[in-house]
Order: sequence, then C-alpha cells, then structure tokens
Amino acid sequence: MASSRPEWGGLSDQEVVLLARAGQEAAYRELIRRYERPVFALLFRMVRDRELAEDLAQETFVKALNAIDSYRPEFKFSSWIFKIGNNTAIDHLRRRELDTLSLDGSPHAETPEAMQATALQIGARQESPLDTVEAKELGGAIEAAIGSLRPEYRSCILLRHVEGRPYEEIAEILNLPLGTVKTYIHRARNELRLSLAHLKE
Amino acid sequence: MTRPSGAHLSPDEIDSWLAGNLARTWQEHLDQCQACLERAHAEREIVEQISALPLVSPAADFADRVMASVVVPDPFAIRSFQATQRRLFATRKSVAIAASVALLLLGSMAGSIGWSLTHQETIASIGNWLLAQGGQVAWLGLRGLASNLIEQPWYSGIRSLVDNPVRLAIGSALASLAYLGGVFALRRLLALPTQQVAHAGI
Repeated sequence: MASSRPEWGGLSDQEVVLLARAGQEAAYRELIRRYERPVFALLFRMVRDRELAEDLAQETFVKALNAIDSYRPEFKFSSWIFKIGNNTAIDHLRRRELDTLSLDGSPHAETPEAMQATALQIGARQESPLDTVEAKELGGAIEAAIGSLRPEYRSCILLRHVEGRPYEEIAEILNLPLGTVKTYIHRARNELRLSLAHLKE
Repeated sequence: MTRPSGAHLSPDEIDSWLAGNLARTWQEHLDQCQACLERAHAEREIVEQISALPLVSPAADFADRVMASVVVPDPFAIRSFQATQRRLFATRKSVAIAASVALLLLGSMAGSIGWSLTHQETIASIGNWLLAQGGQVAWLGLRGLASNLIEQPWYSGIRSLVDNPVRLAIGSALASLAYLGGVFALRRLLALPTQQVAHAGI
C-alpha cells in the first residue's frame, strides 16, 4: 500500500533491516538498491568478468537476505554485506585456482619438470585475450594493474580507494588486524605504482 | 609529532599527507626531501586514478533476480516446517542447542515414565488425597455461595415468584419471549446485505 510505505531515504540501514525482518518485501528491495552497485563493483573488479560478478553478487545478496535474522545491528550493514561479498569472491577465486593450478604444480603431474611447469607463479599472472578486452572495458591500465594484485590486496585497495571505507571498517570486513590492512594497502599501492611505471616506460 | 633525524616519510605519514593532516615537522621534511616528495606525488597519482575508476552497475533486473530466491518472512504465518528445519540446521550452534533441548525433553519424559511405573502405589495415594481435598473444597465453595445468595435482599421476591405456579408460568413465558426476541434481533444484525443494494437502479 502506497500510504503505508516508509520514506526510505530517512531510514538508516538498521531500521530498514528491522522492516525486512517484519516481512516487508519493499525493505528487502531497498537494501538491494542501496548496496547492489558497490557490492557488484567490488566483485566485478575482484573477478574481472561481468557475468560472473553478477552471479556472485546475486549469491551474496541471497545469502545475506535469507540470513537477515543473523545480522547484528551493532555492526554496520555495509560491513556485513561487503564481508559476505568478499568471502564469496575469495572462495570463488580459491576454487578457481585449485581447479587449475596449485602452488606445487598439478596433482596429476608425474615428473618434477611437469610439476615445475604447472606450478603457480605468484605475481606472474598472464592475461588472456578476454582479460585484455575486459581491462579495456574497465578503463585501461589501472584496472589491469589492480587485476594483477593478490586478491587480499585487491579487496583492501578497492574498499579503501573506490568505496572510501575507513581502515577500521576494512579490518572488520576482511577479518584482519588493522596493521595488516594498512600494510596490504601500502604494498598494493606500491605494486600499482611499479606496474604503472613499467607500463609508462 | 617529532621526526627522528634522517628519517623519511613512512606509509602512515604519506597517508596523513594524502588526507591533508601531515604533522608540521614532517611537512618541513617533505618540502626539502626530493625523494619523499616524488614518492608522495606518485602515491597521490595512484589514489586519484583508483578513485576515478568508472562506476559499474549490475543489470536492471538484478533486484528481481535476487528477490526470486529470497524467502520474505510472513509475520502472521505460523512458521513452516521447512523454515524451522532450515533455521535449526543453519549453524553448528543451533544444531547443538536443538539437540540439547531434545535430549533434555526425552530424558525427562523417560525419567517420568520410569518413575511412574515403579511408584504406582504412591501415585494412587496422591490421587486419592487430591480427590478428597478437591471434593471438600468444592463442597465448601458451594455452601458459601448458597448462603451468600440467601442473604441477598432480592432473594425473598424471587422465592415468592417460584412458590406461586401461575406467577412461575408467566415469568417463564416472559423470559422465553425475551430470549426469542434477542435471537431474532441478533440474526437481523448479522445478516449480509443483499446484492440489490449495490446495483440499485442498474
């Protein structure tokens, strides 16, 4: 009913969550409206594939909204949804790495040479032609440089400089000590600086 | 904040500089140290490039696709068996709590049945005692009510009406008529309006 519809703009996330818990479908839609773009943007830049990012974002929201009763209002809703989104992305990336490569090489490799050839080379990610197209779509060199960072660095740098989250919230989202978050962000910036300097040359 | 001699800007200081709140001693160093200045400018350039990344949004039907898989709780509905089951098996903690409660209930039921089977004489004697006590309390209550009724000022008038058969018959007839009138009035009040009212004149 239109007359009973609350003015969403004036409500905090916690208040919208209370309405969702009371069974108001419009409150669920409001939470999606507020966070679909930032969560999708984070996941898109984590996995660098639009279709996959939409699937992961959908998985994130379905998980979060079906477990809305387990959300604790003393924490920020944004931290909660970003945490679920980031875990979903990291799980996916780990699964993908396990499916294709392991640090010690393929489990099916029978000789040391084969193991060496299939071992994961950290920091030497080769871009496929599809990745290159995606990078262009995303805006060029900086996107490609972010895409080559370790997933943990990527999460930190995106949350800090794209979503503008404070260090403390990033630590809460990623379940990491504050000092580690700062270190990751500084290292990520350093790696980006070196990557971009290399590209400029 | 003091600056150790010979020290260059740490990442934390560069963060402070980016946020525009670098301590004065460090700012003085930055003005003189070319290496730190280049580093700070390079970091600022990176941050500006990341912050300027284009906005990306999911497809327009994203919310509909999410909502198709979300179960919105109905606050007035009795929770379905599936929902309760899902909630019970949601986490290890909830499973442990549910198992403990079930174990407690089953344990107390088994204990109760066992005790009843081995103490039938005790149960019988308790039952007899309760029956006797209950009967006594009911009888005392009834007597109290009757004596209270007899002492009411209107009691003698009612008594004289019941004593005379003609008056009793008239009283009963009037009471029956009042009852039937009440039933009739109630039926009129509860009757649904006819369709003729809604479509009058069409």
